[in-house]
Amino acid sequence: MSMTENSKRDSVMNVSKGRTLKREIMGISLLHILLAGMSLLFMLPFLWMVLTSLKTLAEVGLPEWMPAAFQWKNYPEVFDVIPFAKFYWNSILIASWVTFLQVFTSSLAAFSFSRLNWPGRDKVFLMYLATMMLPGLVMMIPNYQIMISLGWVDSFVGLIVPASFSAFGTFMMRQFMMTIPTSLDEAAEIDGASKWQLYWDVILPLSKPGLITLTIFTFMGNYQSFFWPLVMLKSIDKYTLPVGLLFFDSTRGQTTHLLMAGVTMSVLPMVIVFIIMQKQMVKGIQLGAVKG
Amino acid sequence: MLSKKTSNTIAGIAFLSPNIIGFLCFTTIPLVFSMVLAFSNWDLTLHNMFHDEAIKFVGLKNFIRLFQERDFWKFLGNTLFLMMGAPFAIAGSLIAAILLNKDLKGKKSGVFKIILPGAILFISCVMLTLVGMGAAALTILIVGAVGMTLISGILFGQTVYRTLFYLPNFTSGVAVYILWKKLYSPQTGPVNAVLDKPVSVVGNIVNATPSWVLLAGEWLCLLIGLFIMMKVLKSLFNHWKEGDIGSCGLVLALFFVMLPAFFAILWAPTAAMKLAVPAIAVVLLVFHLATDLKTRDFPCTIWHGVGSGFMIAMISLIPMFMFIGFAAAIAHLADITRQTDFSVLPPPEWLASYDWAKPAIMIMGLWMAIGSNNMLLYLAGLSNVPPELEEAADIDGASPFQKFWHVTWPQLAPITFFIVVMTVIGGLQGGFEMARTMTQGGPFGSTTTLSYFIYNEGFATGRLGYSSAISWVLFIMVFSITMINWKFGSKYVND
Repeated sequence: MSMTENSKRDSVMNVSKGRTLKREIMGISLLHILLAGMSLLFMLPFLWMVLTSLKTLAEVGLPEWMPAAFQWKNYPEVFDVIPFAKFYWNSILIASWVTFLQVFTSSLAAFSFSRLNWPGRDKVFLMYLATMMLPGLVMMIPNYQIMISLGWVDSFVGLIVPASFSAFGTFMMRQFMMTIPTSLDEAAEIDGASKWQLYWDVILPLSKPGLITLTIFTFMGNYQSFFWPLVMLKSIDKYTLPVGLLFFDSTRGQTTHLLMAGVTMSVLPMVIVFIIMQKQMVKGIQLGAVKG
Repeated sequence: MLSKKTSNTIAGIAFLSPNIIGFLCFTTIPLVFSMVLAFSNWDLTLHNMFHDEAIKFVGLKNFIRLFQERDFWKFLGNTLFLMMGAPFAIAGSLIAAILLNKDLKGKKSGVFKIILPGAILFISCVMLTLVGMGAAALTILIVGAVGMTLISGILFGQTVYRTLFYLPNFTSGVAVYILWKKLYSPQTGPVNAVLDKPVSVVGNIVNATPSWVLLAGEWLCLLIGLFIMMKVLKSLFNHWKEGDIGSCGLVLALFFVMLPAFFAILWAPTAAMKLAVPAIAVVLLVFHLATDLKTRDFPCTIWHGVGSGFMIAMISLIPMFMFIGFAAAIAHLADITRQTDFSVLPPPEWLASYDWAKPAIMIMGLWMAIGSNNMLLYLAGLSNVPPELEEAADIDGASPFQKFWHVTWPQLAPITFFIVVMTVIGGLQGGFEMARTMTQGGPFGSTTTLSYFIYNEGFATGRLGYSSAISWVLFIMVFSITMINWKFGSKYVND
């Protein structure tokens, strides 16, 4: 009696299990289709961008998205029309310098804030945090006057130096260094290591994931930065990509196909970097904000 | 020999010094300088190498002039208007995060893994052979792209979709703004090419409907909006009675909830509505104030639950604005179809038109902001919701919506608060890049935000003192919101 009941219940459960499994698969497939549809919606502007960049000038105004034949020669042509290679190089050069300096100064300050005990340390740190909330616009006019008096207007130094100190970077590196156990410091001290050795040989290698995240963020942020280069740069051969693209748009905006080729080329590096580095970046964003 | 403490201090300052020197030079000194400037009449047209007048301190003159200037209020209005897209973007981020949070790899069935992508590949191949190249190639391209997304989504799970959602945000910048400028181009852009048909269909429908139906529709939308307002007011006062929200929280929430009534005065299509909507709203408010404010069952401090009140207000703003917007849209459409002689309704001119430039920027902002950091934060928040809570809700037989509202949403409240504050701070300072690259702040200043105003005054017109004064007004607004965050952000987490 009990045996049959048990087996009955089992079979009933199996049936319902089968049903729920079926429903689950249905649900997941629907979800996948929904998500793929949404992805398409997000990607359509980029699709149009790439397809337009491969059109001829005559095809640009047509409602058809597809060109009759892919005009790959548009891409080299961009380099003939405007000094695009120069813009690329300027952007990368400036972003690299800023990234290097910012990561260096930030990690030094973060080391001081997280590993060294000195009176008033936490108050100073709080002040740093507060400056993260300052609207950058407030400082723009005085900073520009400072640049004039230093003679740094229309020079790379004027773009690199002011951007090399970041409260955000310091904050992020400090958050990261706080997670490294302090027993390491004591061990290093017993071995007679100086503070510099502690920083350079112990803490910095252990902060590698944090350093990588900060490097990507800073580099990408400066690759995109617009306001300061726009204000500072006067001669075309010093333009960075964003300013250069704006110049391209305002002088030769009618050649949409070439403009889109330029836009594609300036977006592409970011897409590649993001796809390769996305794991670190997602973690960095979540760490920086959730703990803050 | 130095004591340990002194050597620590010296080392600490030495390590900090590169950063702190830069900090002094490019943050502290400019900040003080800017404050001084805000009280001066430094203007490059008055004080330059040809015309050298001494720079004078003018006291509060810059600020007085600013508050008297109509343009300032208009640009402030623009900034706030553009920020109204934010609730939709945040809701979108939350929905995207909820969809992505499911276990998407479909481990349970190996067959499923092969069948679906196989089917899609098969279908696209069949289509390719059937239709051939030419105009239809686009369809195949899109189907192929969706198919590829699906395949990789099934094989690798949420990472694929997350990447695709996040890309618009990550790449946003001058390049993408220029792209959207071309997308919005009224004659040759794809947005209008796609919209052309649907818009003319809508125009025909509006033309065909008798005007009393349209009028009824407008009233219905506004009444639904008012009905939502009534419900929200009721729940706010209930919360206040039960001691969930203190008096300050109530006042703040009431302010936001009454905001649509103010906008109704601006937007409502007929004079009767301009009067009726705010009047009904005020009556509702007065009614609640008169009946509910007497008794209080559970006392609490006046600062209690400011965050909760704020959140309730924000959530209710979304549908209220939607319905007011619907009413305005119906009236507008009717107007346009009546006025124009076209048999077909032309699609909007987007960036070139005074009325459509702001919505155009908001739509683009939505595209960029759904898959933003906010989505990632919500994803992190969702994965931190204790599974026991959800299981308990399941055992109690809660529907998915109940489960979300009573279990998941309260757990996400601190993150939402953080996101809202950050969005408001960002929004107040935002809009410069779009204005500069897409519209030059126009047409007729309709997309000029405060940041673009500051840039224009400081770097184009050369009124440095005046520009600094505007930037300090902006600074004070941002600062007060930061203060609200510091005061209530942590309290809200503990609620």
